[in-house]
Amino acid sequence: MRPSNRRWHLSGLLLWAVLGFAAPVRAALPLPEMSHTLTLLSPKKPARDFSLPDLDGKPHKLSDYRGKVVLVNFWATWCPPCRREMPSMERLSQRLQDQPFVILAINQQEEADQVFVFTGQLDPAPTFPILFDRDSTVSHAWGVLGLPTSFIVDKQGRVVYRAMGGREFDHPEIEQTIRALLK
Amino acid sequence: MKAACSLCLCACLVAPALSHAAEYIHNRDPDSGLLAWKKADRGFSLELIQLLPDHVAALYSSRGLPPAVVDSIRGYCVFGSVAQNQSGGTLSYRVADWRYVTPDGRQHRLKTKPEWVAEWKKLGSDFGWSILPATMTFDIGDWAQGFTTVQLPPGSHFDLIYSWRHHGKRYTGTFENLVCAPEQSPVAP
Repeated sequence: MRPSNRRWHLSGLLLWAVLGFAAPVRAALPLPEMSHTLTLLSPKKPARDFSLPDLDGKPHKLSDYRGKVVLVNFWATWCPPCRREMPSMERLSQRLQDQPFVILAINQQEEADQVFVFTGQLDPAPTFPILFDRDSTVSHAWGVLGLPTSFIVDKQGRVVYRAMGGREFDHPEIEQTIRALLK
Repeated sequence: MKAACSLCLCACLVAPALSHAAEYIHNRDPDSGLLAWKKADRGFSLELIQLLPDHVAALYSSRGLPPAVVDSIRGYCVFGSVAQNQSGGTLSYRVADWRYVTPDGRQHRLKTKPEWVAEWKKLGSDFGWSILPATMTFDIGDWAQGFTTVQLPPGSHFDLIYSWRHHGKRYTGTFENLVCAPEQSPVAP
């Protein structure tokens, strides 16, 4: 790596680190509030199926999770609200671990190394599958305009809720909404 | 220094005689010296945060994007931006409707995300996720984050006229005297 490139690379890592936690580069405005509302979609349309690899290269097909409630989350490591909401997704996953509930976190246009470094910094670290949509084919098919965007798919494979922007997924209201779908 | 900088923070409520109350915050970070602005008005909140040109170039360069992509954004003044629906209903915005006004009084369009993506695809890449979505229809609690780009040199001053729609009505807001980040950090390391 040329010295100038190395400088850019290191600066880039610094930028991602500080953007995620708001400090100097954010110029110290309060972080945007992470809401806990979900938009109920009507009509309930069938979720577009996909098959994407996880960190180990194992493919995950959405339709294989039929009969479970699935939180589909589109994200990237450099996206500050994505970073902020992911621990709440893991806490939700742990609370519902005895339920037919799955989180599929679909990373956009990044490599396994970048994701691996990022997830190692999280507390709690995610135990749910992280999938790779390297050319954003799936996110575009799902109509995603910005990151993060999340959808909740019901047991029948229909998209029932949507959230644009970061959420506190372990908020009681969201947990209650998902528990209602699990009945 | 910190005491002096804390004076830069002002949160102003528009006179209660008006039919709405707007919140305006202008802040200088004491550590980086960078500026940020936030306006919340009639259900729509927009926040703009100065980003140093080197940091923006670093973000794109460290993605492994072609140098031409990194160079393409160098001529732009880039702000981190957060658009948020704080209303109790549906709200939408369209960056193509927004204008920045230079000191000579001329209004200019902002380059939108689809325009960046089209340019970057020709250069062999697509990192459009970094740019503030060009159009959004927010439901309750929704928000979006991304870069807002203005084709001006570092340190330039300008106004930004932005708009949004809520309950079928179009609203307009203005940030006056926004400043592009300087070429180098205003605070010595």
